[in-house]
Formats: sequence, structure tokens, C-alpha cells
Amino acid sequence: MNFRPETDLEITRVIKAPRSAVWQAWTNPDQFAQWWIPAPAMCRVVNMDVRPGGALLTEMSEDGGAFGPHMDACYLAVEEGRKLVLTNALSGGWRPAASPFMTAIITLDDHDQGTTYRAHVLHKDEETRAWHEEMGFFDGWGTVAAQLAALVERQ
Amino acid sequence: MDQYSLDMLFQSLADPTRRAVIGRLGRGAASVGDLAAPFSMALPSFMKHVHMLEAAGLIRTRKEGRVRYCEIDEARLAVVGSWLEEQRAIWESRTDRLERFVQEKQKEQER
Repeated sequence: MNFRPETDLEITRVIKAPRSAVWQAWTNPDQFAQWWIPAPAMCRVVNMDVRPGGALLTEMSEDGGAFGPHMDACYLAVEEGRKLVLTNALSGGWRPAASPFMTAIITLDDHDQGTTYRAHVLHKDEETRAWHEEMGFFDGWGTVAAQLAALVERQ
Repeated sequence: MDQYSLDMLFQSLADPTRRAVIGRLGRGAASVGDLAAPFSMALPSFMKHVHMLEAAGLIRTRKEGRVRYCEIDEARLAVVGSWLEEQRAIWESRTDRLERFVQEKQKEQER
């Protein structure tokens, strides 16, 4: 697989539910809005057109007040029930987007206990570089990634 | 640290103004007025950024007379690691929520 550890991440998880249920959570706007953004912030799906070239446009409200932009992406590939590829390099209808940085490849496979869920997320170089340049003057910055990984894994 | 405070930490850093404030505070404590000076925004708008950083625990503020000073909480900041780790944490917690959502929905249907 086209995996570049400096910029990419992959999450694999067995979800104890059938593939169709996980697919619904990703492709039904009402369901998607319920898990995409952490509470108490709220998510509104403005447009979800699950086909290559279709838009995924979401908005977020941090406190239940006014909604602001959150995710402006375009589906690149759709294999019913099995695979979704989306990027924020494009908006719906293949229109080039203002600040692209990622492509996400979501795959679902059957598993004895439900579904093997995999999210492979590819990022561009510049984003990680800019971050480190902004933060570069802190001693030890960038050496503490493992701390965070451990922290996340414990939860 | 629970998932909510971790999300808050990353959300608070997902903004260029707030990152610039953190960047400035990396060189030492500063007053709100000095911090706000490089930005072309009204003070109340700028204060929202300061409050968000404070709520996330990334900075501490204290008042001396009529001036409010900010300083960085380095222990908290060290948790962040790198941009990629931020993205990883976002996707991990997103996956946690997806898993919980789908499994709960599944239980409802089985009832």
C-alpha cells in the first residue's frame, strides 16, 4: 500500500456490527451528523452526495449557536458497502478547494465479529512542515509524539 | 486526560491565531494587549481565542492591577506532539464515536 509514515496514519478497528450498519453511519446524513464531531459541539450535514465527484459538506457549532464551516470534501471513489475515498483537495463537483491537506480511504471488510474498519488518511508534506516551523523553537518539540500515542491508546 | 479534554486541546490549536499566540508565549509571558497587537481584530474577538486556550489548559492567565498576563502551560503543550499526532487523535476519537454509535444502534435493533 501507498503508506508514508511521515505524513500518513492508519487506524484499524473491529466494530461489532455488520458492514451495512457501518456503511449507513458513513453515508446516511442523519447518522453521520451524530458521530462525526465530538459533543458538545454539533454537526450539521449541508450536503452529502455519495458518488464520485459528489460533495460532503458539514458545518459545526461549538455551543449550539451559529454554525460555521467544518468539512468541505469530495468523494473520489465509492464502492457500495465496502469503500469510500474522499479528499478536501476538492469540493463537490471536482472543484479545486482552497486549503487541501488530506485524502481519506475508508474500507470495510467482513469479520467473524462484525466489520474490520480501516481508515487510511494521507496528508501532504507542507502541513506537517508548517506546524513544526511554527512550533519549532520549543525544546523537544516533535519528540513527544509517543507520549500522545500512548495516551490515546490508554483510553 | 479524557477524550473530551484531548479534543478541546486539539480544537484550540486548530486555529492560526491561537497557534501564533502560543508561538509568542513560547518566548515568555505577555500581556493580552501585547499579544493582541499583531492581529487586526477587535479585542473581544481576540479574547475569545485567549479564553479558548485557557479553557484547554494550554495557557494560564493572571491579573496584575488592570493588566491581564498570559503564560504557557508547557506540560500541557507537550502532550500535543506533532501535527500528524493531532490528526491521529482526531481520527482515533472519530473512530471511537463511530464504533459506539454503530454498536448502540445495533443493540437497539436487536431489542
